[in-house]
Parts: sequence; C-alpha cells; structure tokens
Amino acid sequence: MRWLDVAFDRALLESVLVGSVCGLIGVQVVLRRQAFFTMAMTHATFPGVVIAAVLGVNLYLGGAVAGVLAALAVTVLSRRRGHDASMATAVALAAGFSLGVALLSTQNGFTRNLTAYLTGSILTVGEQDLVVAAAVTAGVALVLAAVHKELLYTAFDHHGARAAGYRTGAMDLLVLLLIEAVVVTSVPAVGTILTLALVVAPAGAARLWTDRVAGMTAFAVAVAVSSAVGGLYLSRAFDVAAGGAISLVAAACFALSTIVAPRQGLIARAAHRRRRRTPPATEPGRAAPGEPVPATGS
Amino acid sequence: MHATLVEPFSVPFMARALTELLLLAVLAGVVSTHVLTRRLGFVADAMTHTVFPGIVLGFLSAGVDGVLPGALAAAAVTAILLTLLTRSRRVTDDTALAVLLAAMFAVGVVLVSRRASYTADLTSFLFGRLLTVTAGQIAQTAVVAGLVLTTLAVLHKELLLRAFDPRAAAAMGYRIWLLDLVLNLAVALVVVAAAQSVGTILVIALLVVPAATGRLVSDRIAPITLAGVAVAALSGYLGLAISYRASVSHGLRLAGGATVVLTMVAVYLLTLLAAGLARALRSRRTSDAVA
Repeated sequence: MRWLDVAFDRALLESVLVGSVCGLIGVQVVLRRQAFFTMAMTHATFPGVVIAAVLGVNLYLGGAVAGVLAALAVTVLSRRRGHDASMATAVALAAGFSLGVALLSTQNGFTRNLTAYLTGSILTVGEQDLVVAAAVTAGVALVLAAVHKELLYTAFDHHGARAAGYRTGAMDLLVLLLIEAVVVTSVPAVGTILTLALVVAPAGAARLWTDRVAGMTAFAVAVAVSSAVGGLYLSRAFDVAAGGAISLVAAACFALSTIVAPRQGLIARAAHRRRRRTPPATEPGRAAPGEPVPATGS
Repeated sequence: MHATLVEPFSVPFMARALTELLLLAVLAGVVSTHVLTRRLGFVADAMTHTVFPGIVLGFLSAGVDGVLPGALAAAAVTAILLTLLTRSRRVTDDTALAVLLAAMFAVGVVLVSRRASYTADLTSFLFGRLLTVTAGQIAQTAVVAGLVLTTLAVLHKELLLRAFDPRAAAAMGYRIWLLDLVLNLAVALVVVAAAQSVGTILVIALLVVPAATGRLVSDRIAPITLAGVAVAALSGYLGLAISYRASVSHGLRLAGGATVVLTMVAVYLLTLLAAGLARALRSRRTSDAVA
C-alpha cells in the first residue's frame, strides 16, 4: 500500500483503530466504574514493557504478562480485610510504575523512552503496531458482541446474575482482561495518558446523551475516533504533542456534554429546576402533576 | 554494613536528600491515613497528575522560582474542582476524575512539547531530582509539613467523624464540603512539596503505601499513622542507601525516587506476608484450644 509509507497516514490509521477499540471498551469501563483500574493498568504494564525491551522480546508480550500479574494482584489484595479495591489498585499502580522507572534508569536512553511511553509517539507507529491494533480491535469487538448480554446483566445486577447461575467472577475477570488487552495495545503506540483519556472521556460523554447501551457504544466509538483524528490534525497544525492534543479534544467532548446534554446536562437541569420552582397554574391547595409528594414518616 | 548504611550520608547531597525524605515521611504517614479512611486513592492519583501543568506553567513564566507558585495554584484549582466533582453525584466520580486527570496532564504535556528540550524537561518534572534537593527546598517542605500537620491535628476529630459517619457529621452541623476541601488541599500540598524531590508521579506511593502497611498491623488510627510514618522513613533511608551503593560500588544506576518506592512496596509485601502468617498461627492455636 503506497500511502501507508507516509508516517502521518500510518498515524491516522492507528488513531482510527485505537479510537474504535478504546470507545468500545470504554462503555464497560464507565458502566463498571473501572476508570481507576484502567489508569493503574496503564502504569502497571510499564515494567513488563521495559523488561521486554531489555531482553529483546516482543513489547506487547511483556506488557501483557505484567498486566495479568497486576490484575491478579489487585484481585487478591482487594479481598483482604481493611483493603478496598481503590487502595489495592493504587498499591499496584505505584509498585508497577516505580519498578518500570527503576529498571529503565539502569539503561541508557532513559528519558527518551520514558517520554514516549507516557505521552506516546503516534507518528512513529510501524506496520506491526497497526496489525496488532487491528487484530485486538477485531478480537475485542467479537468478544463484547458474543457475551454482551451476560456483561450487561453482571454490570447492573451482580447478585441477580449470580443467583441466575451466571459465573459473575469469570465475567469480572473477562472484563479486566479485555481492558488489559486494550491498554497493552494502545500504550506502546499512543502513551498512557492518551489511552486513559480515549477510554474514559468518550464513553463518559456518551453516557450523558443516552441511557441505552447500544446507542452509548456507537456514540462512544464515534467520539473516540473523531477525537483521535481531530487531535492528530490539531497537533500537526499547532506543532504540539499528538498525545496531548488528542486527550484534550476527548476531554473537551466530555466537558461539552456535561453542559449541553439533554436531561443530564447542566443547562437541561437548570431549566428543569426553574420549571419546578415557578408556581404551577392550578388552583391552590392541589399539588400540580409532577410535583414531588411530601414524604410522610421515615 | 557501616559502609552501606552510614557512609553514604556523610556526602552533603545525600544528607540533604535524606532530610527531605524524612520530612516527607512524617507528612506522608499522617496524610496517607486520611487517604485510607476516606478512600481517596484515585483522588490522590489524580492530584499527582493535575499539579503537573502548574509546574510547567510556573517554570515557563518565571524559571525555577516559578515552579512552587505554579504548583500551588494548580493544586488549589484541582482541590476545589475535585471537591465540587465529588459533591455532585450525577456523573460517577471516577469517570469525571479520570477525564480531569487526563485533561490537566495533557495541558502540561502540550505546553512542554512546545519547548526544545522537551524530553529532559518532562522527565525531571515527572520524576524529580532527589539528589539535587537544595536547602531552600527542604525549608519549603518543612513549612508545608508544619502547616498541613497542624491543620490535620486541629481537625482530627471532625475529619474522622466525616470519614466514618458522614450523615452524623452533617446532622451535627459540620460542613462536609469544607472538611473535604481541607483534606483535598492537604493532599495537594503534599503533592506539591514532594513533586520536586521524588517527582509528581511517584508521590502516589507516598500517599497510599504507608497507611496501607499500617492497616495490615492494626485497626486503630494512631498505630496505623505511626506505622505509616515509620515505614515511610525506613524505606526512604534504605532506598537512598541502596540506590547509592548500587551506583557507586556496582556501577548500576538506579533512580533514587523509584528505589525508595520499591523499598516501600517491599516492606508492604513483607508485612502482608507476616500478617498472613501471624493470622494462620493464631487460628491454629484457637482451633487447638477448642479441640
């Protein structure tokens, strides 16, 4: 393919692929409140990538192994009395990241590699990165489509799903592994912060616009892909870091949605409150329809 | 043994690094206990990233002297935004937090990327330079520590009540949002104080691991805090010594901040193991007594 020889075209294709897969998994992350876990995964896969680079094996493999270990550590630690999931996640994050930094500091070229890892260097993606991203995007989409009913049930009614005979533990683990797969694919190409922004912001924005999961997924993928592509063009136009520009566009979509989204947005809620406050045009002494009934007892 | 544990700190820059770390240890032990009781792990993590653009802006506008004011301004803005975000329950906290974190960090990255010395700058912003801590920075840390510790000591009862029974606290007339704001500001100040020495990113370890270790050995607040301070101080000392020994005697360069954190995690894991063993022994003994 002729056009793939140009770095910018490769970056464009990579941003479309990463945008799609991040938007897809983002819906699960937002519905299951796994944003902090995603953040921890972006940092905890780091030592694996460094070790793989030092040993000369595949970077994705190293990241994947470290990610599985971190996911297991979070699961085990959060079961201890007095430890909740957020603390276990924070410990795993700190441990993984400092291990990566310490390992990297023993090598030459410390700063350059690290910066690429944190902020991404989407303009240097190679064809192998594109193939991996395409394969993971397809794989994640297939798995999500295959088990989407079970995923929904366990996300919204964990006890009900267990009582109905679903293996909720397996489902939770599956979601963690899918998140890990997305993180491992995206981080070497586009950086940790950008991955977090592209996973959480589009899906969070979509959640404000719709209550339906299918619509939310389509919306999240659309926002993620357009943020990635738009940010890439912005970064070229203004000569700033691509990862930063893409994150900012995605965050702007989320911020805009919190203001203008129907029903959930700030404007809609202010209007709603105003409507409730103005006295209803009914005769006095009767509650207008929609007026909250004063609570009695308790 | 003497060569490894005492000798390194006769060098002035090592002594300064150790002083800075010991000050931070006291601060981290106390603040991390509050982070533990309020489950602010993600908030603390977000804070470490959102201070970053302030540091960059301060540095770009006024050089090294601008770093502290810039970081303080960014920390104050984030503490207020986080308090507002966690107050409204519409968007789930963690989604909004994650977006705020990524966006503020991206602002920092975009600003730094306009500079020529992009990567070196970014790295020192993120990872600090533990071994180049100056006497002035130590004085700054001491002032911050005094301020934060005094505030938390004065509000100790109120903060605990708010952590364990927010409804009762509200019913007794305490302003929950004000208490939250004070605690968020305290966390932000620790991040600012530690940002220049251990770096913005490794601060998260200081804010979580000490109390997590303390929690393994006790259920009570005071012992958790004391154990946290001890763990942070011990790992600061050992981590520095290890990093120095590795680079001087073995030619292995180990980043100081990262080595300190790794030591802290190692202490945590050892305590985890010891606590597990102790519990197994105790349950064996009770089952023997019953039999």
